[in-house]
Amino acid sequence: MPVSVSPRTFQFVHFDADLIERVATGLTGALGFDRPVAIEVDETTPLARVTVDLGDTVTIHVESGAFEDTRRPRHQSEQATAVSLGRVLLRARDRLVGGFGEAPADDQLTLAQRSAWEAYCAGRLERLGLAVNQQRFRYDFRNRHGFRDTADLAFERLWHSDGLTWGELAEISRSASADAA
Amino acid sequence: MRKFFPVEELARDQRFHQITMKDRMADPRSALGTATGERQRSNRLVPSRPDASQAARALMHGIFVGEIQALEGAGRTCHDFRTQGDAARRAQDEAHGADVDDVDDAVPFALKLDMARQAWDEARHVEISVKLSDWMGSEIGEFAENTVLFQAACSTDPILRLAGVNRALEGLAIDVFTTMKEFGGLAGDPFLEFCEDWMLADEVTHVKMGSDWLRKVTEHDPDRRKKALEFQSVVDKLFSYGGTRSDSQESPIGLARRFRELAGFTDTEVEEIAEVSLAALDERKAAVARMQAAAAVEHTLATN
Repeated sequence: MPVSVSPRTFQFVHFDADLIERVATGLTGALGFDRPVAIEVDETTPLARVTVDLGDTVTIHVESGAFEDTRRPRHQSEQATAVSLGRVLLRARDRLVGGFGEAPADDQLTLAQRSAWEAYCAGRLERLGLAVNQQRFRYDFRNRHGFRDTADLAFERLWHSDGLTWGELAEISRSASADAA
Repeated sequence: MRKFFPVEELARDQRFHQITMKDRMADPRSALGTATGERQRSNRLVPSRPDASQAARALMHGIFVGEIQALEGAGRTCHDFRTQGDAARRAQDEAHGADVDDVDDAVPFALKLDMARQAWDEARHVEISVKLSDWMGSEIGEFAENTVLFQAACSTDPILRLAGVNRALEGLAIDVFTTMKEFGGLAGDPFLEFCEDWMLADEVTHVKMGSDWLRKVTEHDPDRRKKALEFQSVVDKLFSYGGTRSDSQESPIGLARRFRELAGFTDTEVEEIAEVSLAALDERKAAVARMQAAAAVEHTLATN
């Protein structure tokens, strides 16, 4: 399926639209995407939010920090590009293939639900062969669910899972948070 | 051994990538609003921020490299300046060409002892920061190292260096550690809160040492004290990182007034730092607005 990137040239950052396109094409192929993907980069902010609109075309809105090499500000990191796109594409695929019909819209997710879904996506990306720092996602999960053993067990379950439904994912998150309360 | 080590030659391995404040300020992007004087949404580093974990990791890495530079700065101060009354060292320096009449850079031995103690503390902080970064999922060198902290430690006047390092740099550390300690407490992270609290106690001591020595050494030299405080003000503005640290909720890091008071800052001094920090925030917003406007014009010209 075709992938498009805009803008094609960047003024504020030293990004390469061809590289973004190549990374996204590899990921959509590996994930079996069945529809075109449009990636729109907002280069005016160093923030790193990534949002997605699902339609006949999957449109991904990316703030430049999401693709940035944190060692070299304003320069692109292929790894960050792959992990940022991979996470959002997996979340989009979860919604598209079924089992996630009850999931709230992205902007309605609680911080705990979002971190649980991120852990689930990052674990699958690691199994796809991407370099992912597991501890980074564990730390975020702990920040949202508590710094305790039961939260760590929930994280491990999400990280190693495939084929979860939204109900299962939300329950893992809820039970980890409930234990913290 | 060489004296007065330049910032460009700090020893780092290939994991580190260094940037200067000039590089950082040349970035036309900004997470801040661009209306100067108008206070907008909160950017304060708290767990309820959606990007809290990533922002905390980045700040922790900033603390880690800051501790390395503080260690280097305190260590240099032990070595770079002569010791008052040290005749043997004095003769050695003169044999190497030191001006016989030049005694301005000599400092009391007790001051050097304080700097040695500080270097020991900073080394411990570096180790703690490495462990905390690992705990938070960061790798050494994952974020760029801004070398502005060590630059403040390059003054050839020991009193200016004390003002820049012990009062401005370590003062910023008080603000940063307070923010991180509160973050750890709110998030329920027992290690972060505990470690930051311990390091904060050391930083308060470091600032107090700087404040005490600054007053003592310049007791009969008001001009030198004035010059040192002016230098501190310049460094404080630099360390406000274009608005990263101020009383405004737009800044991720707040001004830790109570701990600054414990460290020997007067109310007037804290107010001056607050004003300088807000000015830095507004200047940064104005600079970003100018850069973004210029880019928009360039874009229009390129597309027409």
